[in-house]
Amino acid sequence: MQKLRLAVHWASSCGGCDIALVELGEHLVELAQVADIVFWPCATDHKYAEVEAMEDDSIDLTLFNGAIRTDHDRHMAHVLRNKSKILVAFGSCATEGCIPSLSNIRGAAYALQRATADELSTVNPKGIMPCRDYQAPEGSLPLPALETQVRALEEVVPVDYAIPGCPPHHDQVWKAISQIVSGDLPMRGSTLGVDPRTVCDQCPRKRTGKIRISRFLRVHEGEPDPDICLLEQGYICAGPATRAGCGALCIGANMPCRGCYGPPEGVLDQGAALLSAVVAGLEGKSDAEIRAVLDTIADPVGTFYRFSLAGSILHTLGSEDGDTLAQSCSMRPEEQP
Amino acid sequence: MAVQTKLDAHFAQEVMARPGGEHLLTCMACGTCASICLVRRFHPAFNPRRVLHQAALGMREAVLSSEEIWLCSACDACYPRCPQEIHISEVMGTLRDIAIGKGYEAPGPFPEVDRDVCSGCAACARVCPYEAIGPAPDEDDPSRQTAHVDKTRCLHCGLCVATCPSGAITLEEVNEQEVLTRVSAGGWLDQPGRLAGGPEPRCLAFVCQWSVRSDAAWARAERFGDQVRLVRLPCSGRVDPAVILWALGKGVDGVLVIGCDDDECHYQRGTFAGRSKVYLLQEMLATMGYQPERVRFSRQSIYERFGLERSIEDMLQTLGQLPAPVAEQAI
Repeated sequence: MQKLRLAVHWASSCGGCDIALVELGEHLVELAQVADIVFWPCATDHKYAEVEAMEDDSIDLTLFNGAIRTDHDRHMAHVLRNKSKILVAFGSCATEGCIPSLSNIRGAAYALQRATADELSTVNPKGIMPCRDYQAPEGSLPLPALETQVRALEEVVPVDYAIPGCPPHHDQVWKAISQIVSGDLPMRGSTLGVDPRTVCDQCPRKRTGKIRISRFLRVHEGEPDPDICLLEQGYICAGPATRAGCGALCIGANMPCRGCYGPPEGVLDQGAALLSAVVAGLEGKSDAEIRAVLDTIADPVGTFYRFSLAGSILHTLGSEDGDTLAQSCSMRPEEQP
Repeated sequence: MAVQTKLDAHFAQEVMARPGGEHLLTCMACGTCASICLVRRFHPAFNPRRVLHQAALGMREAVLSSEEIWLCSACDACYPRCPQEIHISEVMGTLRDIAIGKGYEAPGPFPEVDRDVCSGCAACARVCPYEAIGPAPDEDDPSRQTAHVDKTRCLHCGLCVATCPSGAITLEEVNEQEVLTRVSAGGWLDQPGRLAGGPEPRCLAFVCQWSVRSDAAWARAERFGDQVRLVRLPCSGRVDPAVILWALGKGVDGVLVIGCDDDECHYQRGTFAGRSKVYLLQEMLATMGYQPERVRFSRQSIYERFGLERSIEDMLQTLGQLPAPVAEQAI
């Protein structure tokens, strides 16, 4: 049997998804027996030009992690779409935007300014901004341009399958890869590497439903009882609105689920679903009382849409259309070192 | 022809011996409860005074077999107004308990849980005002928890349907699909509102069926015509934030949710479930740079005759003045 040609790419990502692949451990040996890696910027020394020179459909499987943040990410998405028979959105960023898409709340220009100049941990007294086209004595050094919005892969090119998770659990990754290698695949557009139902289905904690929450807590504000439902103790846990697949890992470490596997099958908007589940047990018999409880929810958008903002309905309301580049990320020549 | 009704002299004693039924015989049949009862709007045949009186007379079979004892939704609008301070919803609950013991069944409709989809997260149990639904070991796989409905307690308000984060619960007449159909029927969503370049603002209004008491009030709202799509819900707590977002995404200028005032909710705390969803949604819209004024919760007191019309008018006025939302992208 001819070996599969496998590509892995990272766009706007943290590198965790590549680590998740390395975490396959001994399965990597099995993978090497059935597949050749033709492109993997994080792990191998293939150049972009090599991929661009490949023939269309010459890659059997591409695992694409990371969101679309720059015009280079977009370019690579198009290149890999054309070169790949199967393109998989790998991990939460590629699937639905993940943490990087939270920067859409304030926009690209703000994110750039904050990251390069204003952040407390950044020392940049002159306010030097990254320069799109830096002229060094040896030649020009171009940087990709930021797009106005962080997008999920599917918003840019058609995607065949998605493997969610931040990062996807390595057991699920192996399950999905085995499925793809064997050719026994579900309908295009399906999600691979997940279990039926939500995280609550795999969570061993006790839930009664007979509580009223009068104050929501953040994780540093208390120590939750390890045997009782976190949501019923006032910690906002995204488990009820999050697809199962991770085996309730965070909950096992006494941390609330943050929602990285995205909404369960058939649910369009994870944040809206979680919102309903969270306010279900709210204490209060007047507007003032309700608002007092709601005020204890820190950053509702960031909490309910932590991993799914780019793919949500809420996002379509608040965000700009178009692929135009943020103008403010151009250079400030006088500030060049 | 005279029909002799079989009377049971011990029935009243039986009711009074149970918790909740103690004050049955203190009823003096003044009818205050019937005059205030919200259920009568939809079930004119329902009359709490008659039920109490029949029970007191010992008409056991007539009471236990009647549909009436299942209609009371325990909103307790009558309780503070009863001069004899009878907690009528408790008496009704006692009568139901006796009826269930005798093999009678509540008429429904009841929520259906898709046990393949349900994860037993207990969100439905937390929102249910009546402890009528909650997680229990699944029948087929006892290692899993799934939601079970207690038909003796359920009053089909639909709060659980809107709360279920997996979409595992359905209830006749208030299904998600049903609501979506009512929102978009007749191509209403396709006609342009003010945001989409149309001449006037278009508003979607979810109205708690109990918060608007008179037919005259409903009739008055008809004058808004196609500008406003009224969607009746059993309770404002049935409103689904995803549907609100979906409608806004389709280009509706604003969404109004109309529910009961404090202490007047037909389903005890349904109005608060509705409000908390709307308030939190407003906060999130504001965070996203979208005007929170486009979503509003309006409280209707049962004492205000034409509040529905006024609320819609206010909302349309607000929507008519709001500029188009512009995402803040500049530093």
